[in-house]
Amino acid sequence: MRVGIPHAGNIYIPLRTIFKELGTELVVPPPSTRRTLDLGVRYAPEGTCLPFKLTLGNLIEACELGADSVLQAGGIGICRLSYYAKVQKQILHDLGYDIEMLTFDVSQNKLVGLLQLIKRVSNNSPWSKIISAFHFGLAKLAALDNIEKVIHKVRAVELEKGTANKIFKESIKAIDELSEHAALKKITTEYIEKLGQMAKDDRADPLKVGIIGEIFVVLDPFSNMDLEVELGKLGVEVKRSLFFSQWTKFSLFLNSLGIDEWKRVHKAAMPYLKRDVGGDGWESVGEKVLHAKEYDGIIHVAPFTCMPETVAQNIMPSTKEDIPVLTILCDEQMAKPGMLTRLEAFVDLLKFRRRRPKLTSGTRGNRENLSWH
Amino acid sequence: MKTYLGIDVGSVTTKLALLDQDNQLITANYLHTQGKPIAVIQEGLKQIERQMPPNAEICGVATTGSARYLAGVIMGADLVKNEITTQAIATMHYIPNVRTVIEIGGQDSKIIIIRDGIVTDFGMNTVCAAGTGSFLDHQASRLNVGIEEFGQRALKSKMPVRIAGRCTVFAESDMIHKQQMGHQTEDILYGLCQALARNYLNNVALGKEIQPPVVFQGGVAFNQGMVKALEENLNTQIIVPPHHEVLGAIGAALLVHEETDINGNKTQFRGFSTSEAKYHTSAFECKACPNQCEIIQLSLNGKVLARWGGRCDLWERTATSHKDL
Repeated sequence: MRVGIPHAGNIYIPLRTIFKELGTELVVPPPSTRRTLDLGVRYAPEGTCLPFKLTLGNLIEACELGADSVLQAGGIGICRLSYYAKVQKQILHDLGYDIEMLTFDVSQNKLVGLLQLIKRVSNNSPWSKIISAFHFGLAKLAALDNIEKVIHKVRAVELEKGTANKIFKESIKAIDELSEHAALKKITTEYIEKLGQMAKDDRADPLKVGIIGEIFVVLDPFSNMDLEVELGKLGVEVKRSLFFSQWTKFSLFLNSLGIDEWKRVHKAAMPYLKRDVGGDGWESVGEKVLHAKEYDGIIHVAPFTCMPETVAQNIMPSTKEDIPVLTILCDEQMAKPGMLTRLEAFVDLLKFRRRRPKLTSGTRGNRENLSWH
Repeated sequence: MKTYLGIDVGSVTTKLALLDQDNQLITANYLHTQGKPIAVIQEGLKQIERQMPPNAEICGVATTGSARYLAGVIMGADLVKNEITTQAIATMHYIPNVRTVIEIGGQDSKIIIIRDGIVTDFGMNTVCAAGTGSFLDHQASRLNVGIEEFGQRALKSKMPVRIAGRCTVFAESDMIHKQQMGHQTEDILYGLCQALARNYLNNVALGKEIQPPVVFQGGVAFNQGMVKALEENLNTQIIVPPHHEVLGAIGAALLVHEETDINGNKTQFRGFSTSEAKYHTSAFECKACPNQCEIIQLSLNGKVLARWGGRCDLWERTATSHKDL
């Protein structure tokens, strides 16, 4: 089997590790580029969301490299994601790629389903081998996310702009290529120390901006046009709670033990939204409420036409917890200069606000929700 | 005399404003960009040089508008600032108690919400140019009405026609239809103003809390018809501030004045000889990855000053200080 995968941030790294350990060929398509998006846009239904178009482009590029089967997330009752696999399979067949669609169910039976899927594509490898490969893959994911958490802080205060990003790229490459599980911890510590030793502006008290929204566009830098890097250039420290490693930790393991990482967030959202609305909409509302006091501002990132996030976007202005929110809708029409103008203006707004934190005349939250029209 | 220069290079027009140390406007210029930002910046500089008092010295330069980075490199700007912030700063300078700013320019429109002297919210159109200056310009010439007399003639309307303003294509076909039905040009002109005011309030201003004092600025604020249409729609008085068409440039100058006062830095301004320099831009396609970004390169006397347009930082390079030349 030659299994093709779509991209979503760094998710290819754990997958590559798991497949390599098991001796199954994985076809990682080239990183998402303009061409990937053009391909996706050309063959996807017009009104569908950016993650659908972009992952379709990835799968087409994987097929061009000879994939005979492709992996895609699916499930029931989530959002449009539940029909991604079915529709993309049909589109790939229409294009003449006679592939098998392997669907990883992210709504139920997650851990067992995933392990069974791996067992099947790895030509019935023994469970012991699968578990150890799986463990290694997830450890890499966690290591990358731990480094990224440090990156978020360092980018804002580094003296020579771009240094942290360079180290981040090196660390991604090193961890991707690493084949010894035992060496992972050492490498991770080395990079974190390297970041710690960088020349930084120690007196800076950077603005703290929370990034919330739909998980794919939040975690995929191509989709959000390097939002976090741009914020770093503007001297802003990024705060986010969405990480793939956090998702796997809870969704695959802890949720089944009754531990729900979003419980606090859902509780915070309750006065304004009492139920799941699909995707990450409920969480977006909750995160705004929860972090209103902690952060200077929030950037809400969502795919254009995403229903769960559109629901969240429209509820957010009415919360009494007051914090400026800038919504950025991502789609193939998005242009970087327009985004930068808004980011710069938003950062100015937050700076002015910090200088004069006490707003009088009963300013309420609904005046502080910005949107990308 | 110390002076501060602000330049706002927009898609349709370029504005320059020179302030003295008391932030009084000495002179301002309003030019058409005509797709040639470099040439128009140089022309604007020449005009400023002629209009400057003999003892004046430029102590700070700031750029804003959609070509702010390009203009910043050419001028040797001390500050490059987005147009939302500069507009807000300048409006608060003239109308300190302002709570809502409506700005309609050549290709974009914005709303800025201000409370107690700080910007608390803003919005900006991206999806559609309906209701911006370029569209009004185009329709005026199609109706054979000079853009300068558009507003005055629209005010003469007694029975404005209802025009679909959601989209420029529909608005245009609707207008042609009304013309063919025999409606008066005045009624069509004012109908268009009403349609554009509705479109603005339903798109850019959607969900924003518009509170008086409401200030209307940008090139389109010259149009008395638009002022009246907004007043009717919002049921409140609309203030068109002084120098409303150059407020972005004034805001940039105000900010650079404040900044140089705080940090005491000397200006990086390349001097008025910039207006004679031979700048050259060229473009090439980067082949480093399949993104195939179009990289724009700005050079002076064969030396590359700046490159931009890439998704990554591969080609980015700026040399804004005079020493590097």
